[in-house]
Amino acid sequence: MSESIVSIQNLVKRYSAFTAVNGADLEVRRGEVFGLLGPNGAGKTTTLECLEGMRRADAGHIRIAGCDPFREASVLRKKLGVQLQSSSLPEYILVGEALELTEAWSSGSAPEGLIEEFGLQDLMKKQYRQLSTGQKRRLNLALALVKNPEVVVLDEPTAGLDVQSRALLHDKIRKIRAQGVTVLLATHDMAEAEDLCDRIAILLNGKIAVCGTPEEVTAAGNQETRIRLRTARGSLLPGSDLSGAAFVREKDGYLEWKCRDLVLTITELFRQISDREDSVDDLRVERPSLEERFLELVKGA
Amino acid sequence: MNAFFRYLMIQFKMDLRDRGFLLSFYMMPLIFFAVMGAVFSSINPQMKTTLAATMTIFAATMGAVMGSPTPLVHLRESGTLRAFRVNGIPTSAVLSVHSVSTFLHLFLVSCVIYVLSPVLFHSQVPQSPPLYFAAAAVFLAASVGAGMLIGSCSRGQSQATVISMLVFMPSILFSGIMFPSSMLPEPFLWLGRIFPATYALQSFYGLAYRMQTDLDGLLSLAAVLGFGILTFLLAAWRFRQIGETEQI
Repeated sequence: MSESIVSIQNLVKRYSAFTAVNGADLEVRRGEVFGLLGPNGAGKTTTLECLEGMRRADAGHIRIAGCDPFREASVLRKKLGVQLQSSSLPEYILVGEALELTEAWSSGSAPEGLIEEFGLQDLMKKQYRQLSTGQKRRLNLALALVKNPEVVVLDEPTAGLDVQSRALLHDKIRKIRAQGVTVLLATHDMAEAEDLCDRIAILLNGKIAVCGTPEEVTAAGNQETRIRLRTARGSLLPGSDLSGAAFVREKDGYLEWKCRDLVLTITELFRQISDREDSVDDLRVERPSLEERFLELVKGA
Repeated sequence: MNAFFRYLMIQFKMDLRDRGFLLSFYMMPLIFFAVMGAVFSSINPQMKTTLAATMTIFAATMGAVMGSPTPLVHLRESGTLRAFRVNGIPTSAVLSVHSVSTFLHLFLVSCVIYVLSPVLFHSQVPQSPPLYFAAAAVFLAASVGAGMLIGSCSRGQSQATVISMLVFMPSILFSGIMFPSSMLPEPFLWLGRIFPATYALQSFYGLAYRMQTDLDGLLSLAAVLGFGILTFLLAAWRFRQIGETEQI
């Protein structure tokens, strides 16, 4: 197991009477893409802001890249790249100037090929206000990488982007990971989390409700796998339960079951079809999604 | 230091790309200068004598007090200050760079007014140009300090605009640059003495033009300097507080 690069223990953050984060514990391993999920107001952004040193925690212990984010903020700035959820740059700054400015204050030189990597070479003379949302996100992500950080925090980086821009940004995040940089990603997008993250945590009411790989988190739920089947002669009778599977409905010539043990159910189905001297015309399997598991957790909370 | 100067250069160029900035810092003061020079000086011939000084005070107050607070508030409201902070640019550098850049723009306008006044309107050249520029520099810095303080204390852009107006109007009307002090009723005279523009005019008259003044020129300059230092310290404290209390 890789060493931990982000460690949060019993983090508490209050805003007057409202407790945004209420005893969260988290470990992020070096080099992984870690997803932080949760409904609005669950405490994702507050947790990230405490990690970034933007907010002081009321209680608990945080270490990120070997630093206390509030007491060693200046050291951490050199190791941490951040793309905030809601941030902007001066409207009249040129893309080239924004990169130059960040490079100047990071006391180092930007990684070679960063501008080309993010497709910014044709935008260098454009003002920030003239950029599209996708171009702004790409620039902000590039700025977060100017100082060759050990950890990158991305707070909903693809929110509001079109499909093409999202795919482009996902590609960049994968490349960042391939370079050995740890990525902490807060997102509302379950498909994004499943696609990009090595591990995820779901934050509910200021606490980590569940943590693991997307597969582990999904499998731990009560959601069942759906099997839809159509046979050549339609020999199976609608409404018949199988061992370990409950019949759901018949629709458009397909019979549908819900089951927990997919292998057992499929084996049973194929045996019955074979007994009836029928054959499979079409078979569709829908495993429970992270989104269903997420909704289940939110409903339970 | 290198990073600071690179930021300053970029900020200066950004200011020149902003039409709103150009309007507050260059166009309005120079249009007002042209109108005052052409029309008002014929109504009040005394105005022609010290046109450069009065118009420098107007330009500095217009630019620094009316023009500089709202961009500073916008930096906070738009999340730019947060983005700068996470990218390693300290909030103190943001305030310093904005102050120096604003000062440089105001100084440029002051130089234009100084050069054009005798050429276009036959106004008097100060007896002591070095003292003229010393008084101008101190007043520009004090005005920038006032602008930065308004910008860092205001909760929103509309509040900044209201406070700016409350400082700008009496500074212009009751400091003696529009109407001679002798024409002002006593309460307005005292109201004018709250603002540094009044003392700046006295220091220009007393030190640069060697004229008889109501207040001592050097003491007036010291008052402007004191005002500038105080406002800068308060603005810096407020900006630091903003960073620490998570208001950005």
